[in-house]
Amino acid sequence: MGKKFKILIIDDEEVILDSCTLILGSGNYQLATANNGKLGLELVGEFQPDLVFVDLKMPGIPGLEVLEKIRDRDPNIVTIVITGYATVSSAVEAMKNGAYDFLPKPFGPDEFRLITQRGLDRRRLVLETISLRREKEMLRENFAAIVSHELKSPLGAVQQNLFVLEDELSDKLSEEQKSKIERMKVKINDLINLIHTWLRVISVDVKKLQENFKPASIATVISKAIENVQPQAKRKDIQLVSSVQEPLSLVSGDEGTLVEVIGNILGNGIKFSRVGSRITIKAEEKENSLFISITDTGIGISKEDLPYIFEDFYTGNTGPVVEKSSGLGLAISKRIIEAHNGSISVESELGKGSTFTIRLPVQ
Amino acid sequence: MNTQTKLLIIDDDPDYVAGIRSVLEKAEYSVDVAYNPKDGFQALQSKQYDLLLLDIMMGRGAEGIALARKLRKDPKLRELPVLIITGIREQIAFLFPGQPVHPHFVELDELVEKPVEPKLLLEKVSALLKMAEEKKSQAKK
Repeated sequence: MGKKFKILIIDDEEVILDSCTLILGSGNYQLATANNGKLGLELVGEFQPDLVFVDLKMPGIPGLEVLEKIRDRDPNIVTIVITGYATVSSAVEAMKNGAYDFLPKPFGPDEFRLITQRGLDRRRLVLETISLRREKEMLRENFAAIVSHELKSPLGAVQQNLFVLEDELSDKLSEEQKSKIERMKVKINDLINLIHTWLRVISVDVKKLQENFKPASIATVISKAIENVQPQAKRKDIQLVSSVQEPLSLVSGDEGTLVEVIGNILGNGIKFSRVGSRITIKAEEKENSLFISITDTGIGISKEDLPYIFEDFYTGNTGPVVEKSSGLGLAISKRIIEAHNGSISVESELGKGSTFTIRLPVQ
Repeated sequence: MNTQTKLLIIDDDPDYVAGIRSVLEKAEYSVDVAYNPKDGFQALQSKQYDLLLLDIMMGRGAEGIALARKLRKDPKLRELPVLIITGIREQIAFLFPGQPVHPHFVELDELVEKPVEPKLLLEKVSALLKMAEEKKSQAKK
């Protein structure tokens, strides 16, 4: 890139300032010098350097203090200390204060050029990181708006027109044609739901949930979650057995999302269980924590997959493909539980089933 | 159904509008459409409507909300029942789970989500019209 880096050198010895200027003069830099800390700090504001060399031993404001003030002003400015007393301890002290490197006096031109180059490489990285971070943040913020408009709206329009077609053609279509429309509706609906899920993972700050925490009953959460997945369970003739050891203390949390977590795990259990099997939900209180465990006797998770199952978009590589999944349910669940200061873990054996355990601190 | 009942749709997505317009016209409402908030507001000022169907996410963001606020400030238009049609409920609902999201932008409003089943759309429209009618007759007394 054509950016001309700005370098500021703060040293009380005019000889050093002159020779440094001479050494770097031929390079593509913009230079400024100051012969004391006070002037140097003023220049940091005016000149806005990318890289600052600071002599540790100066009359007036000591070098370490100059370093500290530079860091307070802008921690992203790269600083390198120059020290005539090249003791390890003063260099270490300076680096603890945020200096990137140190240059012992006396130094030769090559040494100086090299360390300048290193400092500027560092600055380049720092700047890149900042801009990447900003970009990521903007993406995250804009993602919801972009996705909802660019992806959801067209799908919504397709679905809307499909509704109308179905309605208007209801007396003309054969049963087979009707079932084709029905299938299209279901698929589009799945897509719309998938987009919703993505939106939530990427654009929603789960920590915001904490603002609305209220005392919540886990027994209620469990029964609501069971109610939500009951239709899926019925379809596969899977029995959901819950044993809640009352009385349980309340947790501080958000009932809606906790229901979603339990629902997600139950839903997974149902997806990966055989027809006619059962899933057990237990809740008990131990040592100021509530433990909720959900055990299925389904296909289980292989050892290779186990470490990754809570990651975004992970759907498992090794097990048999039974049902499609977005690979987001557990990732969201983990985030929600962590927002509740809890934890979620899993034990599983391939072919035998899995147990998910959620720990939540009591209020 | 009364053919005199006049509805206005404000929504920037012509494809989506086509989907709800035909449902409403089949139910013998007279339907006008504006494809942006500006035209929509002009239409509302130049002609008398019985109900407004308003999209929230238009243009660069939630321009529908800005329009709803404008309606609320207008002494004549504030009485107009509004059916808000939106795809954003899911997002809002994540932060307020369990609560039905009902923004109450104006005096009489209801919310439906995109896409909406024809039957549900007609139910909401007629319910809102009925509520507005009742309110009017109460005001006369």
